[in-house]
Amino acid sequence: MLRFSKEIVDRPITSQVILEQGTPVNILSAHMNQQGGEILVDIESAHADKVIKAFRDKGVTVDVRKLVEKDDDKCIDCGACVSICPMDALTFDEAHTVVLDEEKCNGITCGLCVDACTTRAIRLLG
Amino acid sequence: MESSGVQVAYKEVDVVTTGTFGAMCSSGAIINLGHADPPIKIQNAWLNDVPIPHPGAAVDLYIGATIGSETKPSEYGGAHVIEDLIRGKEVELRATAYGTDCYPRTRIETTLTKEDLNQFYLLNFRNGYQRYSCATNGRDETIYTYMGKLLPRYRNATYSGAGELNPLTNDPDYETIGLGTRIFLGGGQGYVIGEGTQHNPKSRLGTISVRGDAKKMSPEFIRGASFTNYGTSLYVGIGIPIPLLNEGIAKKASIRDEEIVTDIVDYGIPRRDKGAIRDTNYKELKSGRIDINGRDVKVTSLSSLKTAHKITETLKTWIEGASFYLSQHVEKLPTDTVFKPMKQTGETAFVESIVHEAVTCREDERIEEVAQRLVNRSVNHVVVVDGQGKLSGIVTSWDITKSIANGKKTLKDIIVRNVHTTSLNDPLETASRTLAQHNISALPVVDGERRVLGIVTSEDISRLLGGARSG
Ligand code: SF4
Ligand code: SF4
Repeated sequence: MLRFSKEIVDRPITSQVILEQGTPVNILSAHMNQQGGEILVDIESAHADKVIKAFRDKGVTVDVRKLVEKDDDKCIDCGACVSICPMDALTFDEAHTVVLDEEKCNGITCGLCVDACTTRAIRLLG
Repeated sequence: MESSGVQVAYKEVDVVTTGTFGAMCSSGAIINLGHADPPIKIQNAWLNDVPIPHPGAAVDLYIGATIGSETKPSEYGGAHVIEDLIRGKEVELRATAYGTDCYPRTRIETTLTKEDLNQFYLLNFRNGYQRYSCATNGRDETIYTYMGKLLPRYRNATYSGAGELNPLTNDPDYETIGLGTRIFLGGGQGYVIGEGTQHNPKSRLGTISVRGDAKKMSPEFIRGASFTNYGTSLYVGIGIPIPLLNEGIAKKASIRDEEIVTDIVDYGIPRRDKGAIRDTNYKELKSGRIDINGRDVKVTSLSSLKTAHKITETLKTWIEGASFYLSQHVEKLPTDTVFKPMKQTGETAFVESIVHEAVTCREDERIEEVAQRLVNRSVNHVVVVDGQGKLSGIVTSWDITKSIANGKKTLKDIIVRNVHTTSLNDPLETASRTLAQHNISALPVVDGERRVLGIVTSEDISRLLGGARSG
């Protein structure tokens, strides 16, 4: 989620970032007026760090949204999701409990673990 | 002596507790509903929309774990009905009958909890596999199996079983586990009631059948599970105490993960005999990474080691607190049964029997040349190959027509690169599924190195399968 304050809302920041970083930024929704605005975007995980930095450098407030959620009451620590996850966001801890590291998760662009979960404990937050 | 689960040491401890918590499809529960007034002899029944085959007389039902509900077949099934009943939830019963003089009723609808049932016991006819293969997928597409979701081209692997904690693994010659052995089952107590179906002692793939009072079980150790595009299954927690009656038994019960060997199998091969990519052992599997054909592949279990440990600990506490008594089996599990394949009377057709030569071209050819070839050979597909005869794409007559309409000039612009393929050993049903799923009309036949061996088209397949399906 990108938040643009009143001062910067009229600048073409999103297109600048796209051009400078040379990576696509997929706009999922946008609400803008003179008072400011919010844009929900989807960024390829490989470029996420530098794109986020580029927006922040230009004064945009960036919230990285939690994109998947694991219900620990439903989870049975089977591990069916662990080998699926390309980001190593789902791992076993020392007690063999399966833990989700939301920071590492790709979320919307990935979602591979959702239908791999045997108890439907993981869901995408849309 | 090395520890196997809990402390194992002959003379020091005289019982080893073992445990596993995994998806066990051949599981289910028997319930007895009691008689309605007027009485009904149930012919068809549904619990929460899950069809229930009834094995016995009027009001006995067997809830099979893998039967899917009519509304959400791979999300909710018999396994979930069993879990819901154990949780004390209400389930909806709907039943119909043809009506007899003694059982006049033809319909009934009611709600039930486990308290309303006379008997509610788990009756699983194949549980606790001694060991199991590790599954991976060499195909170009994700497959969904009872071994979980398997990503394309060996991107992940899964395995089942708790390795050195596994009950039968610790008593590989079935010296203490047999008919009548009291066990931890689903958080309550139950019994081994004999060998399981497909029990295959010679290959060290023994199984057991078990029974236990489900009213005393807990959802922590009995869980319904959903395997996308496969169906539902039941996670069952089983723990078996092994009394170390002599040094031989003690030695076998000290088995370690690295000594338990199993195969890595390509589940992308849709055949009964898939062969093995290589062997591995549970130590390697539990490390989380294995090498498959030179790739470093993530591997994880489908069974919870955490819960397996909890089962061995619980059982130990029960035994120490005298709330669980070891029992002597009354009959041994057989050590000489063989596991036969199915006798099939009809012929099964494979891609091999209908494959024919593919018309091919190279990437640098001109569209006109390729178009000419389509016409001359009267085909609709040209397979694009590289210098070694390996698949690099496909072009259809439709692609060529489109290229003319869109003014595309070179073959490179119109080649379809993401090509679905089949292999000589695939059953025709599999090829036909691939065609239908992707709405395409031909599949290049390739070998393990993606060398093009030929092509099969939907017309060829439907001619053989009776014309019902086409791409
Ligand atoms: S959505 Fe993708 S990255 Fe996130 S946890 Fe699931 S598999 Fe891992
Ligand atoms: S697949 Fe689902 S139940 Fe199994 S460990 Fe992952 S989140 Fe938990």
